[in-house]
Amino acid sequence: MGVATALLSARELTATRAVDGRDVRVLDGVSLELAAGDIAELRGPSGAGKTTLLLALTRLLPGAVGELALAGVPASAVEPSAWRTEVALLPQRTALSGGTVESNLLLPFSLKARSSVTPPSTERLREALDDVGLTDVALDRDVARLSVGQAARVALLRMLLTAPQVLLLDEPDASLDDASAAAVAAMTARFAADGGAVLRVSHLRSDAAATVRLHLEGGRLTGGGRDDA
Amino acid sequence: MTPNGVVAIGWPQLLLAAGFMLITGALSLAIGLGLVKDLAVASVRTYVQLLALGVVLRWVFAVRLWWVVVLLLGFMTVVATRIVVKRAPDAPRGLFSPALFSMVVTAITVTFAVTALIVRVPVWYEPRYVIPIAGMVLGNSMTGIALSLERLFSDLDARSGEILALTALGADRWEAARASVRLALRAGLIPTINSMAAAGIVFIPGMMTGQVLAGADPLEATKYQIVVMLMISAATAIGSILAVMLSYRRAFTAEGVFLEKGLRGPAA
Repeated sequence: MGVATALLSARELTATRAVDGRDVRVLDGVSLELAAGDIAELRGPSGAGKTTLLLALTRLLPGAVGELALAGVPASAVEPSAWRTEVALLPQRTALSGGTVESNLLLPFSLKARSSVTPPSTERLREALDDVGLTDVALDRDVARLSVGQAARVALLRMLLTAPQVLLLDEPDASLDDASAAAVAAMTARFAADGGAVLRVSHLRSDAAATVRLHLEGGRLTGGGRDDA
Repeated sequence: MTPNGVVAIGWPQLLLAAGFMLITGALSLAIGLGLVKDLAVASVRTYVQLLALGVVLRWVFAVRLWWVVVLLLGFMTVVATRIVVKRAPDAPRGLFSPALFSMVVTAITVTFAVTALIVRVPVWYEPRYVIPIAGMVLGNSMTGIALSLERLFSDLDARSGEILALTALGADRWEAARASVRLALRAGLIPTINSMAAAGIVFIPGMMTGQVLAGADPLEATKYQIVVMLMISAATAIGSILAVMLSYRRAFTAEGVFLEKGLRGPAA
């Protein structure tokens, strides 16, 4: 793959899961590398293991084996919660916590894993919301009163404000209209342009900005390649 | 009447009380509730278990041996723990030991605080005081622990999406579970707080009723009842908090990943 030093690398990721009493390999020796600036698009049929792969990369898959490294540092040398602050997963189901938009955007900064990080100011939060086209969403709006598209953007923004190095998105636009989907694509493109790496599972729309295309089937990565290679 | 002014209930009269169940049974038949068998079994169990208890307690009170008291308390604690574990079917494996530990700590601290500091029994194991008090402490902390554990794991499951999002943001096990822990403890404590607030106005508490029927002065019985209600609240609070704090981690892996119900395996 790329000549640049990999930001995130995975080698021989394997995981099994008991399905109807049999052990099924949900990941079967998956290896991949993402470099800074990459937007990798992961496709594959339902049940191919796309979500499972994202969980494994975030160290959220119990029982997964294989080697993971972030900028050359092996995962075994990093606390799981610290790893997750750098390799950030946005799950498919948007799950904001009860409260306001502001309390949700600030939530990551209340966690021990970021105890040394200064939370963004109210002005910065307002600016960030405006940037992603949520100009009409007040910071004190209750998240229960957001539309699906707004909630998805708030959840993605919450992740981006924590400044991770790698962003893993699980069908970020699955239930979004075209305008919201375009906003999400613009947000991820800017994140990559600023030196981050993105891996997104796509189902409906293809991301025109993708630089790497991966195909997962039966727990194995097949085909796929780098557009700019 | 017995010498201390109690009207004793004769054996025939005791049997007559079963008439209440005959009426209830007849009603159940008439409306088709399908509860006749359950009612019959429950009534027989009431007679058998309580009479057996009376016989055992009469003996225990008479022999007054410390190890008999300790054995009996141990048996009661284990039975209460088994009931707690059974009542939380969604709970992860290995719940028995934290539940047992919570019960033992609660029973010992609250029971002996009451007998030693408030009632001031001359002998620490005085069965006439220790056993009924420990029974109330265990019974109430059992209910509180069972309620909070049941609520804890069902709420964690209901919040699994939010927990995944929190964990992905770097939350540790406590940070991910905190909201459910709070809710579970509130669920465990609210019934006790409600019954404290209603005591004396809405109902005359059971223990006081018993003492008054057995010939005690109502004011003296009230003093005991106040101690008992506060003791029950403490037992419920201590037991629930210990049990919840010792078990919420069991729904997570060592790496902080929440295990959904299907991945946790049955409670044992």
